Amino acid sequence: MKKTFIITAFIITTAVVLISCGSGPRRDTGRIYMPDMAYSRAYETYAQRDSLVFFSDMSNPANWGSKIFYNNQPVTGTIKRGGNAAYALLNDSAGYIASAAIVNPYPPMDKADSTETSRLYNINCGVCHGAGGQANGPVAGKLGGVRDLTSDLVLKLADGTIFHSITYGKNNMGGYASQLNSKQRWLIVQYVRALQRKAAPAATATTAVAAIPAKADTVKTK
Amino acid sequence: MSCISQNVKRVFTGLLIVVSLLFSNSILAADGEAIFKAKCAACHKPIGDLSGPQLKGAKERQAAAGLPADWVYKWVANTTSMVETDPYAKALKAKYGAVMTPFPESQVSKADIDAILDWADKYTPPVPQAAAGGQEEDHSLLYGILTLILAFVIFTLVQVNGSLRKLSDEKDDIRRSEPIPFYRNKSYLMILVLALAALAGYFFMEAAIGTGRQQNYQPEQPIFYSHKVHAGTNQISCLYCHGGAQDSKHANIPSVNICMNCHKGIKEYAKESEALLRADGTPVDGTAEIQKLYKYAGWNADTKTYNPDNNGDGVPDGATEIPWIKIHNLPDHVYFNHSQHVKVGKQQCQTCHGNIQEMPEVYQFSTLSMGWCINCHRTTKVDFYNKADSSGNKFYSIYEKFHNDIKSGKLDSVTVEKIGGTECQKCHY
Repeated sequence: MKKTFIITAFIITTAVVLISCGSGPRRDTGRIYMPDMAYSRAYETYAQRDSLVFFSDMSNPANWGSKIFYNNQPVTGTIKRGGNAAYALLNDSAGYIASAAIVNPYPPMDKADSTETSRLYNINCGVCHGAGGQANGPVAGKLGGVRDLTSDLVLKLADGTIFHSITYGKNNMGGYASQLNSKQRWLIVQYVRALQRKAAPAATATTAVAAIPAKADTVKTK
Repeated sequence: MSCISQNVKRVFTGLLIVVSLLFSNSILAADGEAIFKAKCAACHKPIGDLSGPQLKGAKERQAAAGLPADWVYKWVANTTSMVETDPYAKALKAKYGAVMTPFPESQVSKADIDAILDWADKYTPPVPQAAAGGQEEDHSLLYGILTLILAFVIFTLVQVNGSLRKLSDEKDDIRRSEPIPFYRNKSYLMILVLALAALAGYFFMEAAIGTGRQQNYQPEQPIFYSHKVHAGTNQISCLYCHGGAQDSKHANIPSVNICMNCHKGIKEYAKESEALLRADGTPVDGTAEIQKLYKYAGWNADTKTYNPDNNGDGVPDGATEIPWIKIHNLPDHVYFNHSQHVKVGKQQCQTCHGNIQEMPEVYQFSTLSMGWCINCHRTTKVDFYNKADSSGNKFYSIYEKFHNDIKSGKLDSVTVEKIGGTECQKCHY
């Protein structure tokens, strides 16, 4: 009888252990065969570096021999193949005013450019400014102070000033130079112009549309 | 002796039947779901509208509008042209604003559409995670107890049967040898040993295969960043933050300035929003998590400026990089390129990463095993450039032979495997 008891107890414990296993989130990576192969010894993107020192100026000999920071800016004065010269104006009020004189170096968009720019606009700008540029994107209400791109104010801005604002940001908006290259930003300027042309008849016809930007402006000035 | 061998035979047959029953179902139904996840999930949900209408009940709505049964096949293949001519399509555009991307029959066949819609019609939303965890455990415990009870009943019945036979034998005056107790009964011991060996083998193989794989890995990140809030509720495109996915090998963890694009303005997690919960069910204070971001960014929320850079290291004082924990890791000997899959192959992020927009905390959705890669390469069809509607990818025009074979009707479609997607050196070099 004792044996029966031991065997039954053993089976029940095994069953309970098996059932209770495997719940809860998996917080560990588990075991691996070859750690040095699974986790690269060479520097890779995302990998932890032992340095937090950021050097923006490698032309200064004092910085030579220090730890390399791979995310460095290109050497001053160099231009990427097929790229534009670095944007020369600074992110200050003088730069903002001077930007009005800069003209769009790109010809009007062809169909392929237009599709691609529309995609980029919807990813990067549409979240706040809305697919039609009327400050009705999904995040616009939460952020507040989102500019209606079809409003009179933006309509009167020079191309260069819009480019300047996309590059460095304006008011609540951040700069997009890290996400969009110079050509993409210029094409988005053209795309914004296209949105304005599309919205122009509607804006003059109805006064209801004008009420939205007015509301957004009051939020900003608060 | 013959009794034992007969018993063993019976046990094997029984085991075979049980195993085949366990694994045979649930393979057929997965088809519609798989196609849905790969092709439709970016704009549709089975229940509830996204940028497109909900798919559940699509056939009923179609029938209710008085459309023929094959309307949906035409619609999926020719959305752009039908939206100009078809009144129902026009109404759809008016309601949802956008026109659906057309999927010609080479990409989504009629059978595929049927499979997707059937799956959507049968779809039932999963119960929210916190509740589901408890319930599932309850079920398995219940089943376990039931199995034990049943096993006990069978055992008792066999014993009773033995005793009764003994009684009847005594009555008929048949003499048999003294019955041996069950724990020394050789057939019972055999069953037990076989069952234990099978179980041990199963767990051993599982552990061996699972070594080095990190499916479901869900580490706690330095900031509780909810993809559900950002990509789900707020509909921010994956590429807004992970723009590298379309341009380079790496999808890129966004730099802090991209977080600050919105969080300069959004300082707190609105109290009326859905409560934030960790995977283990503990609540999270969203506003405190945004404060953590400000600390990493060196941002002063009161003055609305970045801290001055007095120590001259090029970043605001007090700013450090956020030590995000990498979840998806491929070993050094595998080459994987995001842009190749996202830009050229036009794959949705969700195909490999799962429904990220529904994950408060991200976990690794796929096994990232080689078999998983290869399977997809074998089944995914290449999107050849189509001159008629200028859809598809011009890059593949170099595969002239395949183009000719398709034209002459020799081939129906070309999978990634055929253009070298399973060659060793494509990923290992």
